[in-house]
Amino acid sequence: MLRRAGMYILLTAIALAFVGPFLILLSSGLKPADQAVFSFPPDIIPRPPVLTWVKEAWTAIPFPRYLLNSVIYVGLMVPAYVVVSALCAYPLAQMRFRGRNVLFFAILSTMFLPAEVMLIPRFLVVSQLGLADTFAGVILPGLLSAFGIFLLRQTFAAIPREVVDAARTDGCHELRIFWHVMLPAARPTLAILGIFGFISVWNSFLWPLVVLKDSANYPIALGIAYLAGITGTDVRSLAAGTIISMIPVVVVFMLLQRHVLEGMRGAVKG
Amino acid sequence: MATTGLPGQRWYTPYLFSLPALVLFGVFFAWPAVTAIQLSFLKYDVVSPPVFVGMGNFTRMLGDERFWTSMLNSALFLVGMFPLLVVVPLLLAVLVNQKLPGIRTFRMLYYLPVVTSMVAVGVAWEYVFHQQGVLNWMLTTVGLLDQPIQYLLDSFWALPALVLVEGWKSMGFYMMIYLAGLQTIPAGLYEAAKVDGAGPWVRLRHITVPLMMPYIAVAITVEMLDAMQSFTSIYVMTGGGPQDATLTLGYYIWSSAFQRYEMGYASAMGLVLWALMIGLAFLNHRISKGRVVA
Repeated sequence: MLRRAGMYILLTAIALAFVGPFLILLSSGLKPADQAVFSFPPDIIPRPPVLTWVKEAWTAIPFPRYLLNSVIYVGLMVPAYVVVSALCAYPLAQMRFRGRNVLFFAILSTMFLPAEVMLIPRFLVVSQLGLADTFAGVILPGLLSAFGIFLLRQTFAAIPREVVDAARTDGCHELRIFWHVMLPAARPTLAILGIFGFISVWNSFLWPLVVLKDSANYPIALGIAYLAGITGTDVRSLAAGTIISMIPVVVVFMLLQRHVLEGMRGAVKG
Repeated sequence: MATTGLPGQRWYTPYLFSLPALVLFGVFFAWPAVTAIQLSFLKYDVVSPPVFVGMGNFTRMLGDERFWTSMLNSALFLVGMFPLLVVVPLLLAVLVNQKLPGIRTFRMLYYLPVVTSMVAVGVAWEYVFHQQGVLNWMLTTVGLLDQPIQYLLDSFWALPALVLVEGWKSMGFYMMIYLAGLQTIPAGLYEAAKVDGAGPWVRLRHITVPLMMPYIAVAITVEMLDAMQSFTSIYVMTGGGPQDATLTLGYYIWSSAFQRYEMGYASAMGLVLWALMIGLAFLNHRISKGRVVA
């Protein structure tokens, strides 16, 4: 009994180390102007909590616009990358064709091209295509995901050949097999890819930073960095803005945490 | 081909399916990769036409003090993040692998920084590191510090502070890698060891660690690639300063390309970074393989 209580105290102390910085942020963003943000000893509880700083962050930068941008990026990128991954994974898993190994290694090689190395040439390519500073320039380079393709390939490969061949001899078009046999069977994997995609697009920073000059197209993470860089931003309003930017992704994670954590485990095993 | 003649599949069907991925690969990976190699031999500032400089960019690196500073700092990131991402998460995984009510909630809380943006994490830690912040209060209260430190403005402390933040953000991810591994170890092994009188440390040392070796190898590889790519925390928290104390290779590449528009030089450094990462991944593969055989 005592051992178990000790275990919970240890687990809680560690949890506090992981959540603490966010709690400090939350408390700073809610404190009234006459309460110190920093003090010895720390004064964590806002007295009383106020929304002044949320309002200030909301107007100091085009906050709603950035949130909308991020929603658009997620809404376009996540379905598109899942579809591209699934389309590419199906023949890799269930068809024999010349060049299959070449395709496989080409996809694999993308995992070994670090972001910093690709940044410059990709920026030049995107500029040459006339896509610099556009939504398309942010979106298109992010649609090829080796992680997505390999996870789906593994899922599709687990579907028995006989099921696919039966559908084929019944005269099913390949596209119909893909749609009516493959995709429904891969639903859990698709959900995992959707959640991971949402998290990564919502948090995306480096590529948008490079490709966007016009701040009107910023996703929210870039908007927060922009807010942090404006001299004279109150520490309370920066805290409030940062907390708001975190809410969607934290809520989605908490609601779907079982899928995220199980999915991670599945990906490691694969 | 065996499947020709079946309705619905022609020889080109598989290629049609993979066409979107192939086009994206060609335009956003293959073409830029070739461009990167070309650029490394050019002097190019985006405005004036590129000039061929041969090995000029590479010889310039040899004499560039900031390049060597950035290499050293990247190496310090790599070494500093090792205990945080390879060792500590294994202990965390053992901790959250216990069958206790509510253990899933703890796993979720430990994973929370992983799903949060690095920008938000960087901002949050600036509050922790503040001169009058929680960290200074704790350290001065227990007597480890006489004077509060401005961690991010101190050329000694800024780099360890960023390593701590980067490590803290990703620990949950590595914990889950290890958790996947731990759940493949049969519980019977631990029971048998307990019967033989082995304590928790002995069990960790002689059962968990040896059986987890493949997962540790994965964690080391991912850690090295992660550490070499640290960027956002630096951008948000220090901008490479103070006095280049947190200038990593990745940050130097970005800054050379997009603040000073030295596209050729930055690309050449990019190739060096790329070669280093491939080399490290390969080295680790060789070492971990050797260990499994031994």
